[in-house]
Amino acid sequence: MPTPRPGLSVSELSAQAGPFTLGPLSLAIPPDRVLVVLGPSGAGKSMLLETIAGLRSQQGGQISLTGTDITGLSAERRRIGLVFQDAALFPHLTVRDNIRFGPRASRRSAPDTTGDLLGQLGIGHLADRAPRSLSGGERQRVALARALAIQPSLLLLDEPLSALDQPAREDMRTLLQRLLAELAIPAAHVTHDRDEALSIGDDLAILVGGQLRQTGPATHVATHPADPDTARLLGWAELGHGTAANGAARIGQLIIHDRAAGGLHGPVQAFYRPEDIELGPIAQGPPPGAGLTAHVQEIIRTRPLARVSLSCDPPITAQILHRDLDRLQLTAGQQVQVSLLPGSLRLFRAR
Amino acid sequence: MVTWLLGGLLLAFVVLPIIRLATTSSVASLHAAASAAAVRDATLLSLQAAAITAGIATLFGVPLAYILARASFRGRNALQALVDLPLVVPHTVAGIALLFLFGRTGWVGGPASHLGVSFYGSQWGIVAAMLFVSCPFAVNSARVGFEAIDPKLERAARSLGATPWHAFQRITLPLALRGVLTGAVLVYARSISEFGAVVIIAYYPATAPVEIYNLFLQSGLTQSASAAVVLLIVTLATFLVLRTLASGRLLAQVNRAYP
Repeated sequence: MPTPRPGLSVSELSAQAGPFTLGPLSLAIPPDRVLVVLGPSGAGKSMLLETIAGLRSQQGGQISLTGTDITGLSAERRRIGLVFQDAALFPHLTVRDNIRFGPRASRRSAPDTTGDLLGQLGIGHLADRAPRSLSGGERQRVALARALAIQPSLLLLDEPLSALDQPAREDMRTLLQRLLAELAIPAAHVTHDRDEALSIGDDLAILVGGQLRQTGPATHVATHPADPDTARLLGWAELGHGTAANGAARIGQLIIHDRAAGGLHGPVQAFYRPEDIELGPIAQGPPPGAGLTAHVQEIIRTRPLARVSLSCDPPITAQILHRDLDRLQLTAGQQVQVSLLPGSLRLFRAR
Repeated sequence: MVTWLLGGLLLAFVVLPIIRLATTSSVASLHAAASAAAVRDATLLSLQAAAITAGIATLFGVPLAYILARASFRGRNALQALVDLPLVVPHTVAGIALLFLFGRTGWVGGPASHLGVSFYGSQWGIVAAMLFVSCPFAVNSARVGFEAIDPKLERAARSLGATPWHAFQRITLPLALRGVLTGAVLVYARSISEFGAVVIIAYYPATAPVEIYNLFLQSGLTQSASAAVVLLIVTLATFLVLRTLASGRLLAQVNRAYP
């Protein structure tokens, strides 16, 4: 038996939904940290949260919260706050009664914190409104207040930002970051959006096809993805297939003498970070990392970074600052030196 | 234009016989029919039995509707087909089948008669017949009500500390109340108009449709028409009142009462 730790500790958890199997997987969230579970849709992210919350029966494994084994407890006795993607507010109750629902249902004789929560989340003026009259962002705030009203030992957030439009999403993200930092309870936030994952998470867990691929501090996982799926989820672009031998790898015309190539031998698959590509005038001495010359094929002025498609072998798309675009006076057809900075490449053994 | 014409013809087909029936009787003959003890007793019996049936169908139909709406299991479609079975069984056939079960020597009627409960020729037999033919309305209407509710709401309630029963009572049932009440009203309406099954299991005491049939056989068209109009007025009036209550005002009150 592993010694129980404060926060959430999940070991060898598995669950089944039709042909889909989740786990077995293990993870831990210390009391003051936010774990973001990042995965494509259909990876089992919501299923993971619902199993931890006790809303879905688990096949095996153990869940302990603040040192207590809660594996056998029914959902209503776990005291786990859950926020759904579409808020799932009770449509026949006012905002205030939605927030009061939990404390009333559990008949806990705690002081009424509804007023505090309404204030804390900036929704005091909505207290007597019906959920259907609220905007998406307001609804999520109410859902968050409702989950916090039970003074949960763990907060589970199931894509709470994905149903919101851009400005509301930014507001809610800032609010969540602030609240999660203040609360000092473990929280798990699932999403398929890497910006959201990296801005909210202290730790990152990558879930693909019901299996945890990688867990660790968010900054480390983002820079050291352990497999191609994880790399793609975290915004790495595929460079292509090639071969590695004696500490160097060759992908098309590109020769990589990088730590990334060390220890690999045989067919490899390479990934790069589009924003770590440097473009410059031809012939300025050897580039700092791997490099090659290319023709600019197309410039797409997206924001915040512009995308520059480069015609070379392998084909590369760089994302660069608009300021650099102007400085280099890039035009389609122009020849440029392409440098891939050290640390901006990842090589995986090809399957 | 054609759609209006076709729809209008169908409506006329429904409304014209009722209008013709209503215009056959004078106020005096209606008054006479309404004061006849047999007609009055039969109408009251129909109202009472239909109301009891609506209550029983709702009480037992709501759990079944909830299972059909929420649970996924092998044989769910077969169960739904069973629920709909009374809709396709001819009502006289239903009456005969019920008589086998609830008659004095039937599987249920036999043991019940030892306890002093008789279904044959009693109000309980009438209720059994009404329940058989009308219960699909209670189940199906409530099922549609439950299906329209996002199952996440119950999960949210559970995560907030509500037991499954508490979540059902405070969240699911209030939200499905319109469907449940509509089902009850439909059961009531179907029950009060039932003749075929009732006449076989309980010819006496006569419900209003049975009494009207008796009058038709004994005294002819004119005499039975006055009693028919009385029944029509009573059933239509109660149906309209119940429907109005179920669709709006009652719901609003219930929602206000549920803080």
